[in-house]
Parts: sequence; C-alpha cells; structure tokens
Amino acid sequence: MLVIDALLQGILIGLLFALVALGLTIIFGVMDIVNFAHGEFLMLGMYAVYWTNYFLNIDPLLALPVSAALGVLLGLASYYWLIRYLLRGPAIAQLFGTFGLMLFLQYLAMFLFSADYRMIDKGVLVGKSYSIGPFIFDGTKLAAGFLSLISFAVVYYFLYKTKTGKALQATAINKEAATYMGIKTDKMNALAWAIGGGTVGIAGGLLVNFYYAYPMVGILFVMIAFACVALGGFGSIKGVFFAGLLVGIIMMIFPVFGQIIGSDFLGPHFKFTIVYLAYFIIVVVRPQGLFGWKN
Amino acid sequence: MAFLEVKNIVKDFGGLVANNNVSFEIEKGEIVGLIGPNGAGKTTLFNCIVGYYRPNSGKILFKGKDITGFKSFQTSREGIGRTFQIMKVTTGLTVLENVMVGAFSRTEKRDVARAEAMEIIESLGLTDIKEYHINELPIARQRKVGLARALATKPELLMLDEVASGLNHTETDEMVGLLKRLNTEKGITIFLIEHIMEMVMSVSGRVIVLDSGIKIAEGPPDMIVKNPDVIKAYLGEKYAKSH
Amino acid sequence: MEKLKDALDFSDFSKTERVCFYIFTVFLLVFPWLGVGSFVKTVMIQFMLFSLFGMGWNTIGGYGGQVELGKAQYVGIGAYTVALMMVWWKVPFWISMPIGVLIALGYSFIIGYPLFRLKGHYFAIATICTSLVLKDIFDNWNLVGAAKGIELPIHEHPDFLYMQFKSDTYYYYFIMGLFYIAIFYMNWFRKSKLGYQLRMIKDDEDAAESLGIDIRWCKIKAYSIASAFVAVGGGFMAVYNLYIDPASVMELSLSIKIALMAMLGGAASLWGPIIGAAFLVPLDRFLGSWLGGHKGLTGIDFMIYAMLIMIVSAYQPKGIWGIIEQFRKRGR
Repeated sequence: MLVIDALLQGILIGLLFALVALGLTIIFGVMDIVNFAHGEFLMLGMYAVYWTNYFLNIDPLLALPVSAALGVLLGLASYYWLIRYLLRGPAIAQLFGTFGLMLFLQYLAMFLFSADYRMIDKGVLVGKSYSIGPFIFDGTKLAAGFLSLISFAVVYYFLYKTKTGKALQATAINKEAATYMGIKTDKMNALAWAIGGGTVGIAGGLLVNFYYAYPMVGILFVMIAFACVALGGFGSIKGVFFAGLLVGIIMMIFPVFGQIIGSDFLGPHFKFTIVYLAYFIIVVVRPQGLFGWKN
Repeated sequence: MAFLEVKNIVKDFGGLVANNNVSFEIEKGEIVGLIGPNGAGKTTLFNCIVGYYRPNSGKILFKGKDITGFKSFQTSREGIGRTFQIMKVTTGLTVLENVMVGAFSRTEKRDVARAEAMEIIESLGLTDIKEYHINELPIARQRKVGLARALATKPELLMLDEVASGLNHTETDEMVGLLKRLNTEKGITIFLIEHIMEMVMSVSGRVIVLDSGIKIAEGPPDMIVKNPDVIKAYLGEKYAKSH
Repeated sequence: MEKLKDALDFSDFSKTERVCFYIFTVFLLVFPWLGVGSFVKTVMIQFMLFSLFGMGWNTIGGYGGQVELGKAQYVGIGAYTVALMMVWWKVPFWISMPIGVLIALGYSFIIGYPLFRLKGHYFAIATICTSLVLKDIFDNWNLVGAAKGIELPIHEHPDFLYMQFKSDTYYYYFIMGLFYIAIFYMNWFRKSKLGYQLRMIKDDEDAAESLGIDIRWCKIKAYSIASAFVAVGGGFMAVYNLYIDPASVMELSLSIKIALMAMLGGAASLWGPIIGAAFLVPLDRFLGSWLGGHKGLTGIDFMIYAMLIMIVSAYQPKGIWGIIEQFRKRGR
C-alpha cells in the first residue's frame, strides 16, 4: 500500500518535473545549449506567484499567468542579451555563460527577497487534502500535476500541430536545412527560449503551492531536470515526459524502500543523491537516453 | 602475407550500408588510390581501417596482425598515419606544436620531438609558417600541416583523405611530387582517397574503385579508365553504352 | 633532472613577463614584513590558496579544455582526511596530507574512468553530480560530523608537526612554498608530453586520436593531477581554518570559483589562474567585508561575480590573459 501510494505521489510530482525539464530539452534540442539558469527561472516563477498572492491576495492558481509571463520575459531577455553573444564563442564559454546567469539570478533573488524560506499560506487549495479510495492527496499537488499535464499537452500540440511549432522542430533536427527552407534561426532560438522560460515559469508557480521558495531552490530542480533530460535523451520531447514521471516515481519510492528495509542510505535525505547518481549512470551507460535521437 | 589486408568489410549505419563486403590487399611500398563517386563509402572504409569506426563484420590485418576493432590511437601506434578530408580550423596549437604532438607519439622528450618536427617542417617547406595557427593558413598549407603531423608519427602506411581537394593545379602537382618523394625516399606505403581523377592516375600504381559501398574494379590506372563498370559508375549508364 | 631544469626554466617567456615574475616573487617574500594588518595577510593567503586550486584546474580545464565543475569534492577529500586523521588518531599533518592526496588520486581515477566517457554538456553536468553526491553523503554521515562539520583540536603551543601556529606569517610562508611548487610544476607540465597532448585534444579530438593519443587516458591523468593539487589545498584549509564542514569545502560554489578564477585569468596559460585569483580573491574578500556591515546588501558581491562571468564568457572567453596577448599581437 505504501508503495502504491508512493507511486501515485511520484506520478504527480513527476508530471511537474516533466514540465520543468520540457523547456530545458527544447532549448537543448534547438540550440545545443544547456541552460544552467533554468532552475533560477523556476525560482523566479515561484517568487512571482508568491508575491502576487502576498500583495494582491490573488489565489496562487490564478496568479499562474504572472509567473508564465515572467518566465517568457526572462527567456527572451536571456536570449537577446546574453545567449546570442555566447553563441559566437566556444562551448566552454557557453556553459560558463549560463552558469553566470544562474549565479546572477540566485543572488539577485537573495538581494531582493533575502534568504528566507517562503511558502504560500492562503489559497483555495492550500492545506486541503482529498482522499481518493484509501489514498490521500494534497489539493495543491493534485492541481500541480493536473495543470502540468495540461501545460505539457498545450506545448506538445503547439510543437507538433502548428506551423511555427513544426518550424521549431525542423530547426532542432537540422539547422542548415531549416535555414534553406526559409526558417529564421534567430527567431526560432528566441522562440525556444520563450517557451522554455514560460513553461518553467508555470512550473514554478505550481511548485510554490507546496514547496518553499528560496534563492537557492533552483539548483535542486535543475539537477532533477538534467536527469530527466538525459534520461529522455537530450532534445526529445516525448522522452522527457516519461523520464519526468520515472524520476518522480524513483524519488518517491526509494525512501519508502528505505523505510521498509530500514536502510538509512535510502532515506529521505538521499532522495536527491539518487537523482544525481541516476543521471551519472544514465549518461555513462546510455548517453542517448531512453528515447533519444541525438548523439 | 600482404602489408595491409582488408577482408570482407561490412559497415552499415542503421540500415544504410556504406561498405558491403569490401576486400583488397596493399603491398609494402605501393601507392594505391581509392576512387569512387560521391557517397561511394570511401571515407567510411578509411575510417574502418584506421579504427575510427568499428566495422560490423570483416577483418583488417596490418603486417599480419589483426587490428580489427582497434581504436584510432592504437592503429596509429601500429604505424598507420592518416589525414582528414576536412581539417578542423583550430586556434590553439601552432603549426610547429601540431607536428610536435605527432612526434611525441614516439618519444617522451620534448627536444627530440621538436627536432623531429622541425626536420619534417623543413622538408615540407613549412618553415616560414611554423609559428602560425591553423586558422591563419590558406587551405593548401593546412593540408600540408595535416600531412606533416601524420608524418611525425613515423607511419609505415599513410592514408590520405582527399589531400588535393581545394588545391589549384600547381599546388596539386607539388603535392603529387611530395607524395612520390615520400614513397621512394622514406619507403612509406601510401593509400589515398581522391576525387580528382587526374591526380590519382598520375600518382598511384594501382587503383581501387568503390561504388555504392561495393568494390567494382581494381587495377593499374590505365586499365581502370577503360573499365566499363567504372565509366558507368562515374558517368552514368548512358555514357557507358554509347562507348 | 631534466624535468627540474624544465620546471625552473622560464626562458620562453618574454623579458617583461620574467621581470614581473621576479618582482612579484620578491614582493611576496617581504610582504609579511610590510606591516600590513592581519586581514590583508589573510587575503594574501587566500589568494595563493586559490591560485593553487586554479593551477590544478588548469591542467584538465584549461589545457585539456574540459568543463570540469566538480573540483570541490577533492578539496573536501583533502581537508577531511587531514581533519579526521588528526581528530581520530592524532596523525601529524605531514603524514595525513599526503595520504589525503593519495585518496584524492585514487578516487579521481575511479570517478574519472566512467566520467571521461562523456563529452561536452553531459560531462559538465556529470562533474557537478559526482560532487553533489559526495557532499550529500558527508552532509548526512554522522561519523564525520555530518552537516555540523568537525573542529580540529587546538594545541596550546605552536606545533610544526600539526601545522599549528599562533601567527599567520607561518601559514603565509607555507602556502607560499606550495604556491611556488605549483608554479614550477605547471611550468614543467605545460612543456611536457601530456601538456602538448592535452592541448591537441582541446583543439581537435579526432586528430589527436589519429596521432596516437589515448584521449580518455590522457584526460584521466590530467584530472587526477588536478585533483591532487586541490587536495593539497584542502589539507591546508583544514589546518588553517581549524574547522571544516561540507558547506565550506565541498560546496558547488567552491567548484565554480576554482574554475572561474582560471577562466577569468586565462585558461591554458601559466599566469592565468594566478591573475584570476589576484583579481577575484581580493574583490571577493573586500566586497564581503565591506558589504558584511550592510545587512541589506547580501548577495551583491556574487552578483558582481556573476556579471563578470557573463561578460568574460560573452566577450573574451580567453580571459584577462587573452586580452593582454591580443594587445601584444597588435603591437607586433
């Protein structure tokens, strides 16, 4: 029973992970750039909803457009003000560049909001839980899982069914060929960053309903997202969805196993360690991921 | 026992067969050309021999030793040097340092590596550009640097991938002279992929023709140019029939 | 013998560089006697420590061109070995420090073997992962003090065996010794076979392999050298600070600082990491102490840091040294 419960909780949180990782994988697919600052976009999305809720008394779920808009803006600003310049340099500079952005946003948040842990305490679903059969779910987590799924589906529809989305996919598969077809790479890159920022902004807005916002929260989730992206295969949209679910389940189930066999190493303190280890093992053993198409 | 024996090499990339059952032999001291139309699988075959790719099946023997599945650094240590069709335009090492790295494969000492590198650089006429970076050089010079650093590893078999592409007429002639000199003076066996027919014919003692991954002909240059299969492969069905 | 000659031979540098280096050496030697305050002396010690870290990173990160962001775990290994052996068995620093280096070497081979199957982004993220795993373990491992860390016993009298001194001057000269050993080692390294091979790998991996270089093995060797370097620094940190915890010796930000200093100064050059440290350590310290007094300003120092990283990556990936070289080329 414990295991099934953990499984269900894992799926809920996994849906959110998939949404966090979605933007990372799109950006990677289109531009071959790893955005270290992705977790900080998430963090700022969390703060956006937190402060909207705090000052304007708007329900956190209704404040989601604020975090989405902030995410899009952040994505575009990063692309036009930093990433475009990094593209001219070597790969090492690109990694360091987004790393710099990550640090900057972290400490900007520290400066603006202090290091305090903040969590939303008012909202329709906050503190409520629902029982479905023998299982009890937090209202906020149910909403997060459900809305993540919807957001993911919307982006998926956009990428595969609209003309612009298909152009973006074409750029990801073969930049040169896409250029010949008249697709403007620069525009597509910007679009990738806008979608990436927007989706992770929404994810942040959902996350803050049941998780503390603090300046350093991003690194944790960006590592999880990296694990998802690697597992799904760098650049794969479908892959990242299932990988998100899998990582969510792994994270919830291992502590339960630990409890059952009484092992400290599988305890809750180490649930992130397991994610890091998973990343390491995945990329070493199967670098193309479970569903990857890029080498 | 031949110097290089290639037996029944098959290499496919997820269903796309690049080399299908290719076999041939090269004797010590020969200059052998490998020609074929675009996409015939020439570079793939090269890469299988030097160990950049691992063939799906088949065997490669060098000086009687089975080197199938060796990595490229291992085949290099066995005595196979290679150049690349597209040379990476780098900004890090200078020309001299590039050649020194090649020489370092046979020595631990910097002075020795430096002296050997200088010797090769002088013999190839690159002395004036030894402090330049590869990105600062015209393409003919870049190719020579690629050749120089491969030579510095003291190969017994030198495999050249389109060493004359992008060169003008005089430069090509110069390259032909250089290859012949290396072959006669240093006794280096040369195996080269070439697109420019003229060049292959003037330098090679024997030519192997590849088309769609299959070896379609092999023989001395003057025979090869008359071979109907080769003409068909190069110029198309229509031209072959009208002859 | 020949290696020693190479290490001490700076003749391939320009005259200006050599003169600067000699003046700098004299300056460092007399520095403690210039009547500076203890704070400034601490800054100098930190500067040399971070130069040591940066020079180590430079082997794999600079010459080898690998984005290595997990050096802190080896600082941690060095520091914890010294601290734990001292607390548990009263082992003197001079024995525990080399053991720490050996452990770091061994560990780096074990980690390096799978790690260097990876390239590019995969590699960079994986280095962070390995570092975070070790930090998580130390954060929760009660035997080694968990997140609380460990304090080293303070000796009543100065003790050379345990590297405990009342005055910072001793530490100053000790780290200065290490600093110069590192410079000489790196001066040899850049001219060694491995140094050349690594630079070739950075330029063009395929070509490097075609020249008989076992790329993975070369990278592992460089990675281990780098790890040994930072483990020495870690050991020093333990006896100098007399207190270590995972947050101070294993944090990701430490790994970043190490790589950043070398990058900022100029990766793959002998002076790069030193210039980077000379620039960033004082900046870090002075900003820290200045802003420490103003409670509302926490984080500004790191924001300035981050801005620097972004500017350098976007405009001058070759670092300060790259700028100097560029000017020189123009002058020619």
